[in-house]
Amino acid sequence: MSKQVETNMEGMTRQQLKELETKEMTPFQRFLEVIIVILPFVCGILAIQEYRLVPNNSTNRNPNTYLVFLILLVAAYVIYGLVAAIKRVRGDKGVYEKLRFKAPLFSALFLLLAGYDYLTLKTGILTQPFVPCLNFVLNAAWNDREMLIECTIHTLWLLFLGYTSGVVLGLITGITCGYSKRCRYWVDPIIKFLGPIPTSTWIPIMMVVAKSLFGGAVFIIALGSWFAVTVASMNGIANVDKDYFEAARTLGATERQLVFRVAIPHAMPSILSGCTQAMSSSCVAIMIAEMLGVKSGLGWYMNWAKSWASYDKMFAALFVICIIFTVVTKSLDAVKRHVLRWQNGAEK
Amino acid sequence: MEEKKVVLKLDGVSKSFAKVENDEVTHALSAVSATMESGEFISLVGPSGCGKSTILRLVAGLIQPTTGAVTVDGKEIKGPSPERGMVFQKPTLFPWLTVEKNIAFSLKMQDKLKGNEERVEEMIRVIGLEKFRDDYPGQLSGGMAQRVALVRSLINEPDILLLDEPLGALDAFTRMNMQDEILKIWRKRKQLAIMVTHDVDEAIYMGTRVLVMDANPGRIVADIKIEEPFPRDRSSASFVAYRNDILNKLHFGGAKAE
Ligand SMILES: Nc1ncnc2c1ncn2[C@@H]1O[C@H](COP(=O)(O)OP(=O)(O)O)[C@@H](O)[C@H]1O
Ligand SMILES: [Mg+2]
Repeated sequence: MSKQVETNMEGMTRQQLKELETKEMTPFQRFLEVIIVILPFVCGILAIQEYRLVPNNSTNRNPNTYLVFLILLVAAYVIYGLVAAIKRVRGDKGVYEKLRFKAPLFSALFLLLAGYDYLTLKTGILTQPFVPCLNFVLNAAWNDREMLIECTIHTLWLLFLGYTSGVVLGLITGITCGYSKRCRYWVDPIIKFLGPIPTSTWIPIMMVVAKSLFGGAVFIIALGSWFAVTVASMNGIANVDKDYFEAARTLGATERQLVFRVAIPHAMPSILSGCTQAMSSSCVAIMIAEMLGVKSGLGWYMNWAKSWASYDKMFAALFVICIIFTVVTKSLDAVKRHVLRWQNGAEK
Repeated sequence: MEEKKVVLKLDGVSKSFAKVENDEVTHALSAVSATMESGEFISLVGPSGCGKSTILRLVAGLIQPTTGAVTVDGKEIKGPSPERGMVFQKPTLFPWLTVEKNIAFSLKMQDKLKGNEERVEEMIRVIGLEKFRDDYPGQLSGGMAQRVALVRSLINEPDILLLDEPLGALDAFTRMNMQDEILKIWRKRKQLAIMVTHDVDEAIYMGTRVLVMDANPGRIVADIKIEEPFPRDRSSASFVAYRNDILNKLHFGGAKAE
């Protein structure tokens, strides 16, 4: 091995340590690395050529939308690759390694797109227009964009209102109950009784009782979130190790500080996993509410498109739903990772 | 700077706990009396369950005596205070705070952090963990964590330092190093230190006085002054004599046992 250890071990970074400890690659392995990184680009070109060259099975209006979409995807990958390459040359390998890690998935994505296009538009094995090819979906999304945007905003607003109010109230009840036995005495039966009922059960009742369906939907989403967060933070607070309280008290902490400086930080992992659970229950509740009663939003849009047999629009809405829920969940994860960075064991 | 002298008195202190499993009561301490003052390093030894931790927790103010009184300079102890620092066997560092913030915790709770940042610096320097200041406790070794826990309570310059088997969970080498470190810190300010240990050698090596306890009911059975200059030699004849004497009192002395 020809590695010089001229870096002083004292001020070594994690990156340097990793490099020092990994074995050098054989020429064949290096060749394989290059292939893996380039493969997504090749698959992207393949998908484009498949779309352009294979004859269609059904009429395809505005054929360029999907083409532009594919080209944008490939271009995005190329730019990503260039950034990674430049950073790597400058000594920062982080971006490249992430790209290398994700590259096989990108290849699979392009192959999947090509395969789907082949099964739908090119051969009709998946019957048009029930399972529309992506070009139809993209066109539908683009043509109906105003309505889609309106519905997206409506869904996000509903989600925001219901989720945040549920989480805030859940934190208040959960933390008080975790701390005070008397409070738990009164809240426990409510949780035991309401807990096993899935939130969606309330939707038909809400449709009868609530004056405004929007308000009712907010209530139901909030109820589900409230429940998840209450239970999680109650358990989190009640399970705080007594030793931490004793240590804090000998260090001069007041009762109030015991709650805010010891109990809550200690219960944070539990509280945040409650928040994640609340988000997934909110996502379910919001779709059911919109499909059953509320007269706007993406869930309503999907149902409405189906009743007009506009399957392309239906799929378009499905994609938007997919994207926003992914973004919401990812942001929540990022918050969680940041707040709980102290949990990351030996790595900083 | 002239150090504040304090006198700690346990006056006929009993402490009983209700058992969880049945209607009986554990008499953790029964009519314990003792006087200790600044400048002393008290070692508490005794079989497990004899009430050593209970004494420390009473002095810390975490619990109240069933009968009798615990006083500092004649004033009864009502509750915990940073003037009586405590180090537990488990370091109990707050895992969500960095080393630096753990050390500063006490000042922050008392709203005294502003203007006292150099005290935090000094404490970090005392234990030589400058490089680890931004690390979280999960990344520290047992010895490092216990050092942080020690200076976390020392930052208040407590009049009384309570140590509940602080070295119990450490390996032999770290342990001997830390015995010397603790002695060094104590000899600088000569506050009253009370340390629980289950290691007789440690008790003699560090203490100016060794209180030997026994269980059922918990009580002090011997109060032995160690008249040896620091640093002590673990293999000297007088050291061995002290050890035999204490082991006897703990009923490990073989034929000589009463
Ligand atoms: N909070 C408590 N509740 C009930 N019993 C306790 C409590 N604390 C201590 N005890 C009992 O009191 C006795 C003395 O305990 P402790 O002071 O911890 O002993 P040591 O530290 O000497 O091992 C033990 O029998 C223990 O079970
Ligand atoms: Mg104990």
